[in-house]
Amino acid sequence: MSNVRDRIKPGAIKRRQVVDSIFKALFTAAGVLSALMIIIIFVFVGWKGVAPFLPVYGGEQQSIWSFISGMTWRPDQNPALYGVLFIVINTLISAFLAALVSFPVSVLTALFIVKIAPRPLRAFFTTVVEMLAAVPSVVYGVFASGQITKIVDTVAGWFGKTTFGGNSLLTVSILLAIMIFPTITVMSITSISAVDRNLELGSLALGASRTQTNFKVVLSAAKSGIFAGLVLGLGRAFGEATAVSMVAGNAMTGPTWNLFDITRTLTSTMLSGLKETTGLDYDIRFSVGIILMIIVLLTNLAIQYIKRKIGGVTND
Amino acid sequence: MTNDRRTLDALTNKRGMNNQRRLADGIKDFITYLSTSLSVLVLGAVFVFVLTRGWQTLSWDMITGDFWGGNFKVNFTETLPGTFTAPGSLPQDAYFSEKYGFAVRDDKNHEKKDIMVLLYLDPESPLKTSVGATAGPTLDQPLSAGIGAEIRKITYVNDDGAKKSAGLLGKQNAEQMVFTLDTQSVSVDSMDFQSSGGGIRGSLAATLMLIGITLVIALPIGVFAAIYLHEIAGKGKITKMIRAAIEMLNGVPSIIFGLMGMTVFFPLTRLFGATTPNILLGGITMTVVLLPVIIRQTEEALITVPDKLRMGSLSLGATKTQTIFKVVLPNALPGILSAGLLSISRIIGESAALIYTMGTFVVDRPQLNGRATTLAVQIWSVMSGEQPNFELASAISILILLMVLVLNVSVKMITASLNKKWKE
Repeated sequence: MSNVRDRIKPGAIKRRQVVDSIFKALFTAAGVLSALMIIIIFVFVGWKGVAPFLPVYGGEQQSIWSFISGMTWRPDQNPALYGVLFIVINTLISAFLAALVSFPVSVLTALFIVKIAPRPLRAFFTTVVEMLAAVPSVVYGVFASGQITKIVDTVAGWFGKTTFGGNSLLTVSILLAIMIFPTITVMSITSISAVDRNLELGSLALGASRTQTNFKVVLSAAKSGIFAGLVLGLGRAFGEATAVSMVAGNAMTGPTWNLFDITRTLTSTMLSGLKETTGLDYDIRFSVGIILMIIVLLTNLAIQYIKRKIGGVTND
Repeated sequence: MTNDRRTLDALTNKRGMNNQRRLADGIKDFITYLSTSLSVLVLGAVFVFVLTRGWQTLSWDMITGDFWGGNFKVNFTETLPGTFTAPGSLPQDAYFSEKYGFAVRDDKNHEKKDIMVLLYLDPESPLKTSVGATAGPTLDQPLSAGIGAEIRKITYVNDDGAKKSAGLLGKQNAEQMVFTLDTQSVSVDSMDFQSSGGGIRGSLAATLMLIGITLVIALPIGVFAAIYLHEIAGKGKITKMIRAAIEMLNGVPSIIFGLMGMTVFFPLTRLFGATTPNILLGGITMTVVLLPVIIRQTEEALITVPDKLRMGSLSLGATKTQTIFKVVLPNALPGILSAGLLSISRIIGESAALIYTMGTFVVDRPQLNGRATTLAVQIWSVMSGEQPNFELASAISILILLMVLVLNVSVKMITASLNKKWKE
């Protein structure tokens, strides 16, 4: 009666401990499962993508060298030709063009939102950027193939060029520029907000104007985050699929250097003419997927590298 | 903060600057204004585009209608006439049948052929009781002509008990057909009509099914994983690796998830009788896509729950499990809710992963283990044909944008209130 432990039923503690360890195991299992997914992706997609180049594939076995160095993609021919090198180059060109347009605009927008805009406008423009980020890619695709194609076609007319209904490298790049804009901007906003206030005050005390401080001190202090945002944007541009495939035009050979010519990216290749779920024409898409994964992986490594090397001064 | 800013303004008033500096600064500032307005311009252009192209097509009939149109022949379970009064809202050129309670009007289709369009159908009308008359899956199943359907022929029974045809196939226009039916018929027998299609009901249903399946699988796993990371795991190397792995998942392009779904999970859905890409497979694949989102959102909510609550619970003798379920999770509920809403928004907008795992063929009556398209994939499907259907694509885009924006705003509001809650 005197000890509270006597009031607890025998076995109750034991039962609780069992329940406790069961749930602990469940939580751990969920965590490990989530982490395993990335490995599962690499192993399974990798295996299926490598298979067409192995002897086990039988009669339609492809040569890995002609796949990696090929400049023609003709699934309609007999025998079909699958060469991915020009597609990789096209993907890189369109993404870098997009970044060329988007990067300065994004950084300046972020600077405006954090440092220059009056307070009420700040909330408004932040919402605009967030809304741009929330628009689904397929909606951008509809916009691109309905509006951007028209503009590009008109511009091509000024230079005496014609386009295939506006589907072109330029259209893809403009579309990607719009789509990666919120990514770079949000990262830049985070990074610029984190700049140590004392740095700014120091610059102002030395006689620099507000604008000089913003452009010379704030931006260079925030550069590591800004460049990480750029690379993140590039990663998104490489992997963007549905919208791009609506306006890429799927060129059979390449690489495409002419802005008004049709192009073909890794993702548009994976989506175009998707009908059967078996056969070489289906399996080769997994091989393209491996290439895409390698590029995205390299991009991710680049972010880590930038964060370490470029540095910059932030107070986080 | 405001004070700080005011001090800064006072410090940097332009008194000490020369004209050259002032001009250079002005130009630089102006460029930032320009850049920012560009983003507003783009957002506005996207909205204006989908609204102008899609507004006309957007209607209740589109939302509830089938995608595939076709010719239908139907019988009626209720054939006898009644007495109906015309609604006040009918246009001038509409003809109303007082015996059978429907209104039609003459029109021309896009091929300039004469058609007769159904404008109004009384809820009590015998025409509402139509059932499929042709052999196949629709035989004797309710098959109602919707508003906008093109009526080709109505067969009626006259005073002598003979079957006669009224309508376009009987060389009658709307006025003549309604007059014939109202004066000469004793009952109606059957009807031929053509429905225009272009609806999204199937995709809407498939989207809802996909959301259901995905949340049922993804929320428990995601929340549990977040609990593991924040409440149970230590700060060791293994936890770091698990975190990095989940973080990496976030950077994988969604089309890769589609490929993975087909190789890893498709055999699993075969157990449920699937032979093609299917909604279940889409749901499992979306689970993997959403895990990093749910884990991050939940963990952020867990972080806001103060440690004193956990310690209080533990010191009262509760086990770790009891503390998590009775103290920590209830307080983190808004965060889990916002994780769910964010997931729904991602599912609605997702397309690339679902093209692989659910197919691109629009199905009017989707089933869990069969092909289907979500709204976003239907947009892709109607845009990638020989003749892109901008009107339908834009109309669906309006709906998607509306849903996604509402969801995102709610998440923002929930997060804001969550962060305020524990701030003293």
